[in-house]
Amino acid sequence: MNILSLFQNIFAPPRDLILIILAAWIGLTLSERHAPRYHVNLDSLSNLLLISLVSFVVGGRVLYALENLAIFSQSPTSIFSLNTALFDQWGGLAVAAITAFVYGRRAHLPPWPSLDVLTPLFAALAIGIALSHLASGAAFGKETNVPWAINQWSALRHPTQIYEITASILTLVLILIQKPISKPGYEFLLFVALTSASRLVIEGFRGDSTLILGGLRAAQIAAWLILFAAFVGLDYQKRLDDEKE
Amino acid sequence: MAGERKHWKCITKKKLMQPIFRRSLYAIILLSGLVWIFVSADKTDSSTAGRIPAPQKGFLAPEFKLETPNGQSIAMTDARGKAVLVNFWATWCPPCRAEMPTIEKLYQEYQDQGLVVLGVNSTIQDEPPQIVPFINQYNITFPILLDVNGEASNLYELRSLPTSFFIGRDGVIKEVVVGGPMSEALLRTNIEEIIK
Repeated sequence: MNILSLFQNIFAPPRDLILIILAAWIGLTLSERHAPRYHVNLDSLSNLLLISLVSFVVGGRVLYALENLAIFSQSPTSIFSLNTALFDQWGGLAVAAITAFVYGRRAHLPPWPSLDVLTPLFAALAIGIALSHLASGAAFGKETNVPWAINQWSALRHPTQIYEITASILTLVLILIQKPISKPGYEFLLFVALTSASRLVIEGFRGDSTLILGGLRAAQIAAWLILFAAFVGLDYQKRLDDEKE
Repeated sequence: MAGERKHWKCITKKKLMQPIFRRSLYAIILLSGLVWIFVSADKTDSSTAGRIPAPQKGFLAPEFKLETPNGQSIAMTDARGKAVLVNFWATWCPPCRAEMPTIEKLYQEYQDQGLVVLGVNSTIQDEPPQIVPFINQYNITFPILLDVNGEASNLYELRSLPTSFFIGRDGVIKEVVVGGPMSEALLRTNIEEIIK
């Protein structure tokens, strides 16, 4: 049994969630260490995280139930089920983002510095998600003959999960080695730019992409648009900085 | 000499940070991204991988042929054109026991609409004498298959019990649920999806 099989056996779903929880814990620790340079109230930020997490879980489940109302009305107790599949993750994320925004305004948390403080958490979570992909075999690569191909789902494939882990580790390292700078939002935008750029590249090697418009990969188009927005943000910040000088 | 090098380094860094250089760099990255999107486009639609058998969502369901406790042989090919739920279980597994009544209930409800349930007992890790009493205890009417040599478990890369595969009428796996017990809503959502 090779290392990859051993890893996949140990963290086979649903145990792959352990990797995400572990990454969240490491990310929170890094964010706490990162906080002093941004002068953000850590207690308020911890409350924001907790409230966002609860909103994500409750919002994702309630939205899923509403989308499948006819089914849930036949077994209403299923709304309390521990099955993680009964969950609308994008809906949950949207609810969490709205809640975080509202709470942040009420607690007078500055948005950009708060996002900067949380950037190591986001970057660590990206590593956790990539590791869980490797454990579950999700986000697999397309067939290839490259020497570093891995045998997965009945074929030799690009090890896209390993590309993903490498890219997210590099992103975290780049974030952590940034010198303290005065531009609020810079680290967050840098994280967004690096993450979307790596997704844009890696998606091209994936074997499970959603295809649109005659074979274009939907995730690549979304990643390109996000990268464009991140560059606009970084450029705007730099311009403000230049004007100050 | 060192001072001169530092001076040039400083000038280069300053130049790079000038708007024209910065924006050119962004434009080059974005243009390269656009080129990559078109170069890596999947025009043959092979990304869905619906043609090769593998135990993963989006792939063809691997085929197996197993026997029931009374010796009847059942193959996956017998269910061709029908929606299939393959549920791997064992008598000692508490979540498997917990979800059996719900699977049976929904099998009764949906079998007329073309749902086939194959309960694959992971016999290689179970006590064979306990299987028939288990079937009787839970009044199971769908076929229970004995995976004596672990052939189906290997084909489906079974790592946890229970594990369920929801397979559409086209033979493609639509959802994989690892662990349990599955709630009624989860079963119903996936069954509704595969019987379409």
